[in-house]
Amino acid sequence: MEILKPAMAGTLESSDAQVTVEPGDGKIELSLESSVMNQYGKQIKATVLETLDRLGVKSARVTMVDKGALDCTIKARVECAVFRSCGKSESGIPWGGDVR
Amino acid sequence: MSYSLQTISPEDKRFNQKMDTLLQAEGIRRDGHLDYSCGLFDDDYNLVATGSSYGNTLRCLAVSSSHRGEGLMNQVVSHLCERLMEKGHMHIFLYTKVKNMRIFSDLGFYEIARVEDTLVFMENRRNGFSSFLSSLEKTDGESACIVMNANPFTKGHRYLIEKAASENEHVHLFLLSEEAGPIPFAVRKRLVTEGIRDLKNVVFHESGPYMISSATFPSYFLPDGDTAIEAHAILDLAIFSRIAEHLNITSRYAGSEKTSRVTGLYNTVMARELPKYGIKFVEVQRLKNEGETVSASTVRQAIHDNCLDKVLPMLPKVTAAFFKSPESEQVRANICAMADPRHY
Repeated sequence: MEILKPAMAGTLESSDAQVTVEPGDGKIELSLESSVMNQYGKQIKATVLETLDRLGVKSARVTMVDKGALDCTIKARVECAVFRSCGKSESGIPWGGDVR
Repeated sequence: MSYSLQTISPEDKRFNQKMDTLLQAEGIRRDGHLDYSCGLFDDDYNLVATGSSYGNTLRCLAVSSSHRGEGLMNQVVSHLCERLMEKGHMHIFLYTKVKNMRIFSDLGFYEIARVEDTLVFMENRRNGFSSFLSSLEKTDGESACIVMNANPFTKGHRYLIEKAASENEHVHLFLLSEEAGPIPFAVRKRLVTEGIRDLKNVVFHESGPYMISSATFPSYFLPDGDTAIEAHAILDLAIFSRIAEHLNITSRYAGSEKTSRVTGLYNTVMARELPKYGIKFVEVQRLKNEGETVSASTVRQAIHDNCLDKVLPMLPKVTAAFFKSPESEQVRANICAMADPRHY
């Protein structure tokens, strides 16, 4: 999927994460801020990158402010931001396809 | 206790009163210009937290001191960010007291600059400011700087640039890139770049969001009180000092100002603040044309009054040609439509 316009999903409340995606310049650029960076930073980063990879996003600037979200939340927020950025959230979310 | 988030519309006297009381209790000055406000209310309709925005900036953020530690600011900032991003503002700014900086760095904001021990200016991009700095073309050795609006470019601007260029090895010229006046940035840029092409030691830059923008210096664009103007100017200069450091700028030139209150005050603040950062402030007496001071305000006024011919001697060839040509029709119409074409 191609990031066409900037989009955001999620909130800054506890146990959630705010994800912003913007069109990138050919690579994935991830900026992560987390309240549990020392404990789970690597795991969070891996989850974000894995989700982007699954959605076929190759070029994006991703900013994430994490407030202790679980993996499932992180995945959902990243997916939502990506779908919003390419207009898929109105129709055509690939249920059963890229979203499992 | 559950809280509900509600929009505070400017017409709603009761909500606005609550907002004023909360801001006052937390020692925050209410900004004169807000285009959106919201608040968190408890079950008894007491306002426990509030936040507002203007353009791409968050403002007047406060949580009642009896409700600290409940993550209320997170809710307010989430809501405001979501709203701004829906409107297309991805790059968001805010300023806060130094002691509250931690709260916002936890919310994904990063420091750009600070004013001594009072104020911190922040943005929601980790590399926002540093990538702006590295995008600027550098020169060898010491240099001077001019920041101008050139609204439109006059012989006065040209005179100031020439003077700085003759007294310094290099001059960094920043043109305000914010769209605020009647003349679009693209036009101002074209007139200035064409008008200074022969000056080889002048480097042209776009000012971007970090210099006299509606984020750093809102009162430059919209009328406000002297205290607000001064506070904004001090912040603007704190950020400027970091840009100056990067480009090795050791002096800043500006034309003297007698008519515009905001620019005049900005000059006064520059004269006082810049030496603190080791930057010399050079105030140049304005160019005069047959006894009349050359100023962009006067030019706009003349266009407004439909007597362009009167100010033609104040304009460099490129600007004069533009205003005489049919392509400036829209711009002239913009100026004519203004109630008062002078800068306040």
